[in-house]
Amino acid sequence: MEHEEHLKLLGKTAAGDQHAFACLYEATSPQLYAICLKMLRRKEWAEDAVQDAYVKIWHNAGEYRSGLGTVLTWMVSIARYRSLDMLRFYKVRNEQDIDDHILLGEDDLQELSSADKQQLNFCLDELEDTQKQAIHLAFYCGLSHQEVTTHMDAPLGSTKSMIRRGLQLLKRCLGI
Amino acid sequence: MNYLTQQRRDALSAEYVLGTLRGSARVRFKRLILQYPAIRSSVELWEQHINALGTQLQPIAPDPIVWEKVKQRLQFDGANLASEQAVATNVVTLPLKSNRRWKGLSLLASAAAVVLAVLLVQLQPIPVAPVQQFTVMQNEAKESLWLIEITQQTLETRATQKVTQRAQNDYELWMVPTGGQAPISLGLLPQSGVASIAKHPQFDQIDIAALAVSLEPRGGSPNGAPTEVLYVAEIAIL
Repeated sequence: MEHEEHLKLLGKTAAGDQHAFACLYEATSPQLYAICLKMLRRKEWAEDAVQDAYVKIWHNAGEYRSGLGTVLTWMVSIARYRSLDMLRFYKVRNEQDIDDHILLGEDDLQELSSADKQQLNFCLDELEDTQKQAIHLAFYCGLSHQEVTTHMDAPLGSTKSMIRRGLQLLKRCLGI
Repeated sequence: MNYLTQQRRDALSAEYVLGTLRGSARVRFKRLILQYPAIRSSVELWEQHINALGTQLQPIAPDPIVWEKVKQRLQFDGANLASEQAVATNVVTLPLKSNRRWKGLSLLASAAAVVLAVLLVQLQPIPVAPVQQFTVMQNEAKESLWLIEITQQTLETRATQKVTQRAQNDYELWMVPTGGQAPISLGLLPQSGVASIAKHPQFDQIDIAALAVSLEPRGGSPNGAPTEVLYVAEIAIL
């Protein structure tokens, strides 16, 4: 299984095995790159974010524990935080930029089979369409409340409460 | 604001992980994560669930240069990566027997390459990246701890004997923007000897008030912000 394989490679990485780390990179970097590219939208920034994420993964490999989700989810966290930091530092994305791009199309997502992901999708489908869309825009595209508001053409206050309520419903459904 | 009520903790954790918690609220929350285990647990729970969304995006392979840069930054020597090429390209390696002939040939080729390299070195001046800026990081007693030379591509760092050796910690280098934004990590500093750090893409694009050194757990800051700032120094232009 994917997670067991990643776990084995991460364990060896924590022990300083460069080859295992190379295999882990090979297996996971397309996923992390897709996430960074979707959020940052510029190839060079996404490459920098992926680079930073893997340097951190190499140094922090020993800190992973099963309580943090699957190895891949843990790695996604690192890559997303790095991308969010970079978004904050670059601060160059404007509304025009958002409007000119199709932020998230159906082709961007793939079908997944594992039980926990199915549960997440089930819970997301329980949300109102606007709540789900707002959460998707924030998660995949790294949009702020203000940017989600602009994109969805809704008042800022309602975007905030839409996301807050959506997250509360998700929490209940996922049993967090 | 009471960050420790469960409802508030949950709401902030979820928005932190989702990324909609921004600005100074995000910075403050990062500090709280470090401070309160209950907040950390709440964040980890949300990370586990929300970040699973990330695995649903169609994968896109990054340019091979990204891996080259990762290896460079981690100073991989290549010895442990002998079979990396096979992994990267799914090339089937030749069986050992037929490899022997190639080994002989490759030894010959290596020898020729060494001769060629020596000739080239003799013919051309060795390119040394010119130092554009530098700083000396000092402690409160004005003892020099690190020399940091800034070239076009890298930060060349050198630790002095005065650096306190810490087995459980790393020293991390940061640039502090003049605008009051949060410090940006540049990489880990060596506790002894030298280390070359790839220059951050923002390094030449923003006004830097100073460089700072923080004390971090092994591997660097766990949350993208300096944990304990120890030293600060301005950059001098040559």
